[in-house]
Amino acid sequence: MGIYDDVVEVTRRTMVLFFVVDTSGSMNGAKIGTVNSAIEEIVPELKEISEENADAQIKIASLSFSTGAKWINEPISAENFRWNYLSANGVTDLGKAFAELNDKLSRNAYMGDIAGSFAPVIFLMSDGEPTDNYMDNLEELRKNNWFKKAIKVAVAIGKDANKRVLAEFTGCDEAVISVHTPDALRKWIQFVSVTASQIGSRSANAGTINTKGGTSLTGGKINLTKQDEFIREIKAQEAADAAEWDSFDDDGIEW
Amino acid sequence: MKEFQHGEKIKTASGNTVEIIEKLGEGGQGIVYKVKYGEEEFALKWYFGKKLHDIESFYSNIENNIKQGSLSEIFLWPLELTEKRDGSFGYLMKLRPKNYKDFSQFLLAKVHFEDISALINAAVSIIKGFRALHNRGYSYQDLNDGNFFADPKTGDVLICDNDNVSPYGENLGIIGKCRYMAPEVVTGSKAPDCHTDRFSLAVILYMLLFLNHPLEGKRTMCPCLTEELERKYYGTEPVFVWDPYDDSNRPVRGVHVNEIRLWKLYPDFVRKAFEKAFSAELLTGADTEHRIIEKEWLEIFTALRDITVKHSCGSDTFYNADSENCVCINCGQEIAKPMILNVPKHKVVLAKGTKLYTCHTDGNSENDEITAEVVASINDSAVLGLKNCGENEWTAQLPNGVTRTFTKGQTVKLGKGIKIDFGKVKAEIE
Repeated sequence: MGIYDDVVEVTRRTMVLFFVVDTSGSMNGAKIGTVNSAIEEIVPELKEISEENADAQIKIASLSFSTGAKWINEPISAENFRWNYLSANGVTDLGKAFAELNDKLSRNAYMGDIAGSFAPVIFLMSDGEPTDNYMDNLEELRKNNWFKKAIKVAVAIGKDANKRVLAEFTGCDEAVISVHTPDALRKWIQFVSVTASQIGSRSANAGTINTKGGTSLTGGKINLTKQDEFIREIKAQEAADAAEWDSFDDDGIEW
Repeated sequence: MKEFQHGEKIKTASGNTVEIIEKLGEGGQGIVYKVKYGEEEFALKWYFGKKLHDIESFYSNIENNIKQGSLSEIFLWPLELTEKRDGSFGYLMKLRPKNYKDFSQFLLAKVHFEDISALINAAVSIIKGFRALHNRGYSYQDLNDGNFFADPKTGDVLICDNDNVSPYGENLGIIGKCRYMAPEVVTGSKAPDCHTDRFSLAVILYMLLFLNHPLEGKRTMCPCLTEELERKYYGTEPVFVWDPYDDSNRPVRGVHVNEIRLWKLYPDFVRKAFEKAFSAELLTGADTEHRIIEKEWLEIFTALRDITVKHSCGSDTFYNADSENCVCINCGQEIAKPMILNVPKHKVVLAKGTKLYTCHTDGNSENDEITAEVVASINDSAVLGLKNCGENEWTAQLPNGVTRTFTKGQTVKLGKGIKIDFGKVKAEIE
């Protein structure tokens, strides 16, 4: 008993992980099924990352788009989050999803936590081609400061996914991951969710990358941004996968 | 890299074999497993090889640290390296006992120290560990909330991730978190060393006591903490929340709740120490190489421990020997004046359980060993005595004028006016 009985948790910022999921008709079946089960499975791990993190708590928001775009849930703390299975039908109104994101990426909407936030992680999953005129809405979204600072990543599902559009969203090719099997889809959804959340919810990097021999530090700033760090993680994972697949008899399901 | 599975065997550098039992956890640098080595269980930290920028120098640094041997019991020191395998390697260390909890769990208010004495013990342990490291010419480089553990009951501490520890002037390329890194490291103008360790140490000590971050207040309340802003708040323009000359970054009511309540409960000399540690001069000014050293922190926390007593309400409180009437920091009731042991440089409040160390009885600042303890009489718990727990013979001059000697295991009945000669140091009870 004593003066520490009433302490509250240290002031933490919030880091929102946005799942933006394509639920158009082409996703119907195994694709949306895999997305559902992969996210459902990874939630306990996100909860753990949040619970052990004294820098920030993780919240999860989810947005689906097909004919129109719809928020499945506003940001909910990972501890209380449960994934509700999505089903798929309709067209691919990606532009509507961009408009919704732009609307809610605001201090007056989803980013209003009193203790402040870290820049969010926005994770887009799609298997097709936008059917609406997405470009104007993407232009608007790109002017949004939250969006500019966000860690942006996309998973292109199957061979029909328009990777160029996804790269326009993420800002670079390296943050677009192509998957062709249910196994890879599950693995990458989980990898991206965990790794991006870990990087996004942590105080920014400080230090020196390497000074071989130790005496030659030149006071250069390190500019390893969170997005850079995340892309490095993706590349390392891709390299590890490639090494694994060298000895892999690829009779997996092709989409 | 694939994770190791139960039963998998790994060769150590000396040619022995360890067997994986289970995965214990995962961090930014690698995975920690519980392994069987001979008849004993150890922890194996296995690196993500791709994340090591220079695997050879990392390996040889740990090799050197193993040769050097642990500098203090507080460190979960590398004991043995493994062979290199699949572009990576690992090292063995002792397992962390279950009663030790992550520091982040304390910050998240999921675990509390049993009392202030345990908290002070934790602070003292950390300070001593860093002192041992720095005295041997080493620096830790990446102290943050993720690399130490404390026992909430006793305040005993263990520090892990000693793989970054390296000699003064050397640097393995550490990327830490802004929140715990010294401003000059955040801005990139310096590599981590013992001086930057001292900034991190001050942050950890502040957070241990006040459960908020010393540089986060009104000024840093922003809707989106971008990486640029982090570099500003922790690098180029840090301001201590209680800076006496700059109130621009004061804690915010309803947000920085803990420090607002706790700061004023601590004695002035503790607050002054933090004001100095986070003064503009020591943060980013000309004096970043003259930050508060471990020896000074040790004196401050020893003095705090000396005045910490259990009040009748059940809570620990601080007794200010210089104030007329002193109230309990927990219940607000006045505290009856206790007996106080006066030795040069220290005033120790005497209550059941109070311990004296070599710094009190030998004038030796090493402060390590317990040399005396206040005990209560079995017949009457209100009667207190000071038990000699050290090797030196004491001479006590009792109020009736009689002089007697007390050897190890013997107890002097305490009373005002008694003088005790500990050998090197003379004390008087007031």
